[in-house]
Order: sequence, then C-alpha cells, then structure tokens
Amino acid sequence: MATPIIMPRQGQSVESCIITKWHKAVGDQVKEGDVLFTYETDKASFEEESSISGTILALLFKEDDDVPCLQNVCVIGSQGDDISAFISTTTQEIKDEVVQTEDVVIESKEGVLDQEAITSTYSDKVSPRAKNLASKLSIDYRLAQATGPKDRVIERDILKMKEQGVLATPAALASGQALPANGSGLGGRVIVSDIGSQDVKAAIITPMIKAPLLNTSGYREEKISNIRKFIAKAMHTSLSTTAQLTLNTSFDATELMEIRKKLKKEKFEFNITLNDMILFAVSRVLKDFELLNAHLIDDTMKYFDHVHLGIAVDTDRGLLVPTLFNANQKSLVQMSIETKDLAEKSKEGSISPDYLTGASFTITNLGTLGIESFTPVINPPQTGILGVNTIITRMREVNGVISTYPAMGLSLTFDHRAIDGAPAARFLKALTSALENFSILLMK
Amino acid sequence: MPKSQYVDPAVIRAKSVIKFKDIPVNQYDKTIEQEKENFSNDDFVRIFRDMAIICEFENMLNLVKTTGEYSGIAYNHPGPAHLSIGQEASSVGQAYLLDRDDFIFGSHRSHGEILAKGLSAIEKLDDQELLEVMENFFEGEIVRIITKNKKYNTVKEMAVDFLIYGTLAEIFARRTGFQKGLGGSMHAFFLPFGIYPNNAIVGGSVDISVGAALFKKVNRKKGIVIANIGDASIGCGPVWEGICLATMDQYKKLWEGDMKGGLKLIINIFNNQYGMGGQTNGETMGYEFLARLGAGVNPEQMHSERIDGYNPLAVIDAIKRKKQILEEKNGPVLLDTVTYRFTGHSPSDASSYRSKEEVEEWMRNDSLIEYRLNLVKANICKDVQFDEILANVKELITSAFKLAIDDNISPIMDMKKEPDSISKYMFSNTNMPKMEDRVCDVLMPKEENEQVIRNSKKIRTAFQNGKPVPKNKIFAYRDAVFEAVIHKFYEDPTFIAYGEENRDWGGAFAVYRGLTEALPYHRLFNASISEGAIAGSAAGYGMCGGRVLIELMYCDFLGRAGDEIFNQIAKWQAMSAGLVKMPVVVRVSVGSKYGAQHSQDWSALVSHIPGLKVVFPVTPYDAKGLMNAALAGTDPVIFLESQRLYDIGEIFNEGGVPSDYYEIPLGEPDIKKIGKDITILTIGATLYTAIEAAERLEEEFGLSVEIIDARSIVPFNYEKVMESVKKTGKVVLVSDACDRGSILKEMAQTINELTFDYLDAPPVVVGAKNWITPAYELERSFFPQADWIIDAIHEKILPLKDYVGQNNFTDLEMIRRNKLGI
Repeated sequence: MATPIIMPRQGQSVESCIITKWHKAVGDQVKEGDVLFTYETDKASFEEESSISGTILALLFKEDDDVPCLQNVCVIGSQGDDISAFISTTTQEIKDEVVQTEDVVIESKEGVLDQEAITSTYSDKVSPRAKNLASKLSIDYRLAQATGPKDRVIERDILKMKEQGVLATPAALASGQALPANGSGLGGRVIVSDIGSQDVKAAIITPMIKAPLLNTSGYREEKISNIRKFIAKAMHTSLSTTAQLTLNTSFDATELMEIRKKLKKEKFEFNITLNDMILFAVSRVLKDFELLNAHLIDDTMKYFDHVHLGIAVDTDRGLLVPTLFNANQKSLVQMSIETKDLAEKSKEGSISPDYLTGASFTITNLGTLGIESFTPVINPPQTGILGVNTIITRMREVNGVISTYPAMGLSLTFDHRAIDGAPAARFLKALTSALENFSILLMK
Repeated sequence: MPKSQYVDPAVIRAKSVIKFKDIPVNQYDKTIEQEKENFSNDDFVRIFRDMAIICEFENMLNLVKTTGEYSGIAYNHPGPAHLSIGQEASSVGQAYLLDRDDFIFGSHRSHGEILAKGLSAIEKLDDQELLEVMENFFEGEIVRIITKNKKYNTVKEMAVDFLIYGTLAEIFARRTGFQKGLGGSMHAFFLPFGIYPNNAIVGGSVDISVGAALFKKVNRKKGIVIANIGDASIGCGPVWEGICLATMDQYKKLWEGDMKGGLKLIINIFNNQYGMGGQTNGETMGYEFLARLGAGVNPEQMHSERIDGYNPLAVIDAIKRKKQILEEKNGPVLLDTVTYRFTGHSPSDASSYRSKEEVEEWMRNDSLIEYRLNLVKANICKDVQFDEILANVKELITSAFKLAIDDNISPIMDMKKEPDSISKYMFSNTNMPKMEDRVCDVLMPKEENEQVIRNSKKIRTAFQNGKPVPKNKIFAYRDAVFEAVIHKFYEDPTFIAYGEENRDWGGAFAVYRGLTEALPYHRLFNASISEGAIAGSAAGYGMCGGRVLIELMYCDFLGRAGDEIFNQIAKWQAMSAGLVKMPVVVRVSVGSKYGAQHSQDWSALVSHIPGLKVVFPVTPYDAKGLMNAALAGTDPVIFLESQRLYDIGEIFNEGGVPSDYYEIPLGEPDIKKIGKDITILTIGATLYTAIEAAERLEEEFGLSVEIIDARSIVPFNYEKVMESVKKTGKVVLVSDACDRGSILKEMAQTINELTFDYLDAPPVVVGAKNWITPAYELERSFFPQADWIIDAIHEKILPLKDYVGQNNFTDLEMIRRNKLGI
C-alpha cells in the first residue's frame, strides 16, 4: 500500500522547509532508515529517513522547493499502487498555501492574535510600556508590527521583535535616526555604521513583508544547563576581567606530517595525532616562558614548576577542559594515551572533577573543523591559551623557486596584564621552530 | 411586627370619632409680682443681662457685616452671619433652667442659643467645674488668651468672656475658636456646656436630636434634649421623619423596664414668622398656628402649645412644665415659640418681603425694652442700672471682638506650616472596641442563642473535600455579618442597631435572624420607614458617644437619607475639629432583580463625599473582618453589601471564615487570584463575573489573569494595584455601578497617573449601562457579564486571536453614547 512521507515540522514555529537534496529517485528501492532527502529551515539542516521500506513511487517536490510542513513530499509503496490520492490533495493544498502565504497568520503560543501587521508596518503610536521595553532592549519600536488597538504598538510587539532579533545598539538608537531593519552588529544588531547605508524606508517596510522573517516568529524556551551556566560565567568573566589579545602565526607542518606518515607506515602501535605532537611541543617550549605557564591572581603571579596542560574538549554537554598534569615530564606516547583517555572520559561525563581544574596553560583545537584562525578565550587565572588551526596549503618562494607547503595555524591569546606582546611573540616563534624541527625536539 | 400586639379588625373597623384636646396658645399671663416666688431679683436682672449680651453680640456682627466696623474698629468678615436680634428672650428663656446635662441642637441662626445656654451653664456650674472645663478645652489655649491681659474678679466672669470669645473666634474662622474655625457661624457649639452642633441644613437638627435623646435613654444618661429649628423647616421631610421616629408607639408600648416611656425630647420651633423671605403663616404653610401640628402626631398631641417667645418668663415657665412631662417619660414635646427677627435672613437680605411698619411694631414690643420696663415697674431694679449693664455688655463684646480679630492672638490655621490641619480631622481613625465600659443589656448568654448555635454547626468554607457545601450547611455571607454584629452587641454596651424590619423579621435579608431573642428592644428595634431620620438619628447617637449600626435596606434608598449621610454623618468629625466622633456604620444593600429603584450600586455617591469611609466586601471572610473593623472604629462607614451574595460561602480564604474575632483593615484591596498578563480590579459582586471571565481568558487565550477585589473604596491603598499593573501593564475595572461617573472611573484615572509608564493600554472600565436597571429578565444586557470583560480587553487592550466580540466597545460607540447621555 502506498504511503506518503510528509515534511516534518521542526518545532512549532516552523511553517515550511526547503528540500535541498533528494537522495532517492522515483523507482529506487528504500529500506527503513535510508535517507530520503535533506531539507533545511532558516536555522538548521536535517535529513529525513524513511520510516518504511519499499519503492519510491513519486517525488512530489523538486529540490529547492519550499514545502509547507506536514505536506506529503513523496510516496513509497509497491509498484502499481495507486498514488493519485496523495498527489491531488497535495497540489490543491499547496495552492491554498501559496495564496495564504501572502498574509501569513502567525500563531504565538499565547494564542493571542499576532498579525494585522502587513498593513500597519510603521507606527508612531506606542504604549508607554512597549516604549520602555523597547528602550531597555535597544529596539526601535517604530519597526514593530503594531497589533494593539488602533494600530498601537504594544508590549507583545516589542517582545516579538526581540525574539526575531531586530535589534540595535544603544549608540545606533541614540543617533535618533531611522534604523534599517537588519544590522551588521552582534546578533544582527543595527550598529551606527549601518545607519544610512541603505534605503531606510524600504528597510523599515521590507522585513515586515518578507515571509521568512514572519516565519521565524515561534520559539521555544529552555533553561540552560548548569554546565552552560558555568561556561557562560567563566567566559564572561574572562572577557570582562582580563586584557586579552590574540597573535596569529603559522608554521610549516611538513615535518610533523612526515613523522605521522612514517609512524603509520611503520604500523606504530600508538596513534600519535598532530594534536599530540603540538601538546608535546608546547609542554617542552613553555618551560622557557614562565609568564605563560602561570596564573595571575590580583597583583600576584603564580609560576608553575611544571606544565599542566588544559585540553579543550567538545562534548555533548558543552566545552570541558581536562588537565594533563606534569605534561613536561611525559613522553609523547604517554601524553597521547593520557590525552585520549581524558577526552574520552570528558565525553562520557565520567571525568573526575579533579581533572577539570589546575591547568597552567590551555590548548584548544578547532583545526579539525577547518578553522584557519580564531581568538581563543583565556581560562583565567591562566595567562595564555593556544588555539590550533587547520592546515592549509601555502606557497612560498625559496631561491626563486615557488613551492607549496602545508601551513598549520596557531592562535595565541595572552593576557596583556601578565605578559607583553614581544615575549608572547617570542614564545610563538620558539614553538613554531620546535614544531618545524620536531624530530630534534624529540631528541632533547 | 410584634406578635404581642393584636390588630383587631373589630377595633380597627369600629365607628367613633377622634377627639383633640385644646392646644394652648400663649396662655402664660403671670406678672413679675407673681413670679417673685420663682426668681430672685438677681435672677430677673441676669435674664436681662443674658439677653443684652446676645443682642450686642448680634448687633456687633450686624455692624461688621453691614458697615465693616464695630466700636470704630474695622473688620471684614466674609463668612455668614444669620442673626437673631429680636429673638433674645426666647433663647434665654429656654436655656434658663437647663444645665450642662441638657443638650440643645440648633440651626443656622443659633448664636443666641449658644450664648444663652452657655451663660446658663456657667451660672449653674461651680468655680472648680468651670475652671476644669476651660483648662481642659484645647489644653487651655482659649483660657490663656482671655486671661493674658485681663484680671478677673470671679471665675464666672472669666467663663463668660471664655464663652463669648470662643464663639466669636469660631465665627471668624480662627484657629482659637471652639472648633478651631472649622465649624463657623452656622455650626458652632460647645459640648462641655451641653451646646451640641448647630446645623446649616434647614431642620437638620431634628433627627440628630432624636438620636441624642435615644442615646440618653438607652444609656441612661441625665438630662433632656432640645432641637431648635425654624418655622419654615416644618416643610422639610426629614423634620417629619424625625418627629415620627421620636413618637413611635413602641417606646411606651413595647420597650420594657426602665426603658419604657417616651423620649426626653423637645422639638422647639423658634417661630420667627419667616423662612428666608417666605412668610410661613399665610404664604408658604397652611397650619395657621404651628402648634397645631403636634395634634396629628400622637394621642398626647406632643403636648404641643404656642408660647410667647417675647417674654422670657413665659418661655421659662413652659420649659419648666415640659421638662416635668419629659421626666415622667411622657415625651416628646412640640413647642411653638413665637418670636421675630429684626434683621433679615442674613445681612444681604433687604427685607423686601415685609413692611417697615411690621418690623417697627415688633421693635416696639422688643423684649429688652418691655421686660426692662416691667422689672423697673416691679421695683426689681432701677432703670439706670440697666444702662450700666448695657455699657458693661458693650465693653465685654468689644474686648472679645478685639481679641478675636487680632491675627497674632487669634490666627487662622496656617495651612502652609501645617498642611494637614484639616485633613487630620476628616477621620478619627481610632480603634475603640467599646465606647463605654459597663455591662451590656442582653437577654441571654451569647452561647445559648439559637442562631449562634446554628452557625457553630455550619461549614465555614464553600467547598469541602472538593465538593460544594450544600446551601443549608454553609456558613454564608449573611452569617458572617451576623457574627460580627452579635459580637459587638456583647462587647459594647452603647451599641444599638435599628432600621426597617430589623427586629422579629431579622432584616429583609435575614442577617439579623436570632438577634431579636438576644436583645431587648432598646438595643434592636424597628424604625419608622424614615431613612432620613434613621441616618440622622444615628448621627446624633454617634456624636453623643454611642456606637450605632443602621440599615438602609436598599442602596436605592440612600437618596432618602441623602442629607443625613452626606451633610451630617460625613461632616461632623471634621466640622468639630475632632471633638466629636462618629461611630456609625450604615449597612446598605445593593439589590438586583427588582428593577430600576431597587438595583443600583451608588458607591460613587458615598465615595465622593469627604468624611465617609466606604467598604464593599463580597466574601464571607471579608464581610466579617471588615464589619468587625468598621464596628471597632469611630468613623462613619458605609458598608455596602450585595443581595446576590447573602447565600454565598467562602471560596478564597484558605480555611474559610475563622470563628474567632478578627479585623480586616479598611482600605486594603485583596488579590483574589494571582496572574501575570492582565489585571482585573473589581468592586462588589463583579468579582465573581471577573473570575468567570478569567477562566475563559486562560482556557481559550492562554492569558494569565490577576484579580484584585477592591473590598474598600474609601480609604484605598493603591500600592497593591500599582504593583499588579506594573507587572501586567493592562487593567480592566469592573463593577455593577452605572458606568458614567462610577468610582471605577476615579480609580482608572488614578491608576493611569500612578502607573502611566508601565501601561500597555489605558485602563478600561466595564460598568453597567447608563440606563434604568431593567427587569431581572433583561439584566444580562444591563450589568457587566464575563463576555463584556473579554470584549473590552479584545477591543481596547489586547486583540485576541480569532475573537469576535458581541458587545460594542469601540470609540465610536463611546462617543455616541456620551452624545446621547446614555
């Protein structure tokens, strides 16, 4: 029997999704669990797996079609099944839907009317409460969709803007000028430089008619986890209490890659990663730069006898930083084993809290995710953190000959209160030198 | 409706005639010679002196008003001065036999009565008593003023100056007057001499004095009470109501023991022939002889007679005889004391309504001339001595005048330095569980009372184990009021309650069921259907120091008691500068089902009048707590109830209605339901309508509604409401009162001012239509319903999804209705 597959609703606020890729064609056999198609909302991308086995009898939408949620997308069954029922209802409904999108009615969870809007895109009438809230949130109330009586902007209209992210910085608001709807500042905030950069009036009106904007109205609220709270606090404390800045450099990773290749070829019993080698290099070089292997607490520097490396690990629950204690005393293999163990336990959640403190320096690696350069955030009271980037192929000229080499990026964030730029740069130089001559380092 | 008295058709229908006794008219005909056995020479002369003081006092005011000076001293008195020149003999004669335990109440024209009664009291009190009175009054402020630059040979001389100065300073609105200038010419009085408030409302003193006489009777106090009113006030309804209340048969037929017998009250008409410009005999009334009127009131004909107010001795003679009747518990008495005023109604009155000859003829008959002549003829005193008296009196008045107009000695209130000078007297705000400390007259121990026993078996919450308690088992709103009231009957011996159907029937809404068995007549009785006099007498009872609870049955009948509630009960605490208290609670029931004249919520009317506290509890818990607080206070409280709710149980207060005594402070609204999206503030029974609306708003629209029950209207603490509105930003106000000018509009405006910056929409009032209240069958189109509240929210505050209102709350409709006045 033919069974329709529908476009799932990804959250209450999502009205429709775009099919970005079909993985199956008509006539293909599918098993339960096979990916049928990829689709996306404005925020995320999803894969739809088949809930049944059978033959694809029909694809009702093409790639890039915007499909209303809960609509039939394809039909699976046995050859010869009648599929006309699905096709006719689908198309009819879609037509209706298309007409309706002209004036989308948005349903908020309060069940309170949330529309009008299209005709009342610009309102000078605002309740005192809405005005105050807008000012507090740095929102230009004139951009709100007025849903109050007599086209008055009321509290819920401002709350909706907040949720949609039509925001501006206080400075932009203070300019007293009409603000464009979309900004280039943090979280899409309109910043001063955005003002006047586009046809303001058009900008004011445009976002109100744009369906996608309307379609993002829904949301869900969830209390953040304790670990998230902890991270939030730590990150904010770091940025608000230290004087941190980042130096970026890169080094020739030829030798590192050679060593890895060799170890693989030799079927070395341990899997030594690039990251392990960087940890190893840092643990050795850092000994000579005690300002970065230290804690700054108030007006006191605390210098460590050994190097305790914090290793940033991305877990399901959020960022964890277990510590590889006395790294400078460990061999590369030992380090590799222990680091993997720490990462594993962090991901499982079985890591002992004792390992989550006490680091004297931290290493964070986004290179595996293709990041070329970033600004790691120091974990106070540490004075430095090293970001490890991806390897890109670079060209260089040596004696008139252009050649390529694998360049691996390093981003060092340091606390300028504890250490000046030049010594920090010198550390990076020593580190890149050690990494480029890793075999010599190993011999030391 | 006492069953003890049988209404026998054979008697009612029997043939007979009513016979009237003759009504004496000016029968007094004694000579000075004959009176010598009753009066010493000094007495005769003192009567003249008192008349001379009054005459000169009024003359001084007349000159100030008409020429702007007296004795060559210029002064401008912008206030009133209704003078009694010509009437001196009548007031001195009346006061002659009265002492401080006898109370007089007066009119707008009572300077003479104040002085006469004061002079008489001074004569009767000994020096020690007089000094105590003077030194205790306003901590001796007045006595310090008069003794500062003057040495007195006798305490009585000092007291006379004290009396004249205090009265005059009061007339001139000085802070040193008898009521700190808050009473003025028409409301001056002095309680320590038995001079009770004079009244600027024509005939206003009658029902008040009935209350005073009730106070004396019920609380076994010495003395008689006299209401002094003018002849024209006989045309006023409340005067007749007062007379009816004063002459009820029950005092003589139903009240028991020492309470049996008539009130010790004289309703005395100073019949000066005119009511402003209207001639009572011959033009505006039809009685020919005013004394005739007593004949129609009761078989005793109120012992009515006409006496000659131009002869002080005739008046004294009459008072002596009438006092005797009162002491024999055979009162009350009606006196027609004929007299004449030489000046106009007020100094602005040119007397265009009477002939010059008429005035001149009365002047030739002036008591000061005639009485003086008679005394000289009878060798009581030499004529030259009278000249000396007159010269002394002139000096007396002149010196009081100088003191009273001196801004340094007699300043007016400094409203800048002490801005609360007046506001602090608006309410006494005291908590006085009993007005006097003695045994309460009751007929049984409270615990044995059947209703008390019945109530003790009732369930004091509306729900038990999640199920509604059956109506006959529930401790209902009416039981809560009963519990507070009976508590007070067993605590405060002065406490009495009356109204229509209060006894036997137990009140039209059965609130007093069981009280009849517990209380003697004099503490709980049925009044004549005289709402004006019921309220007015309560004012009199209260200002004398007794606590009283009256019932007006329907709010619609407030109009019948308008003056008594608006001008008397509300005003006297402040007009007396706090010298009298007004422990009067007025139960007023807001009706429904009975149409246009029995279903109105007039909370706005009573709230508008300064000096009244107003509460409107709508749950049993609140009713008991607020009634307890009202009955423990000494301020007048209008206690509004709703006839929709007498059967209702307590659904809000956890644990229901406590059986122990507790008070809920007046003025504190109560949050009945916590919410976060919108606030509904209710007055009266609409609390339950709001609950219904809130349930729908929550279920259908996901709105969380906070409901606040105002409970009190005056005073009212806005803090809780502000807090709520700051939270929600939205507020609807609901009551059953007609929307135009309702107290909700006042509250909405105040909320607007206090929380403007927090508001998401203007406060919206949902009241009843500005129509007559229709029949019960049509009430749903008149009184606010739950869907009106939702419609108003949708239209004016927060449009609701897919909602279609049934009622028109648009601006256009608002404008249209206002244009049409509907």
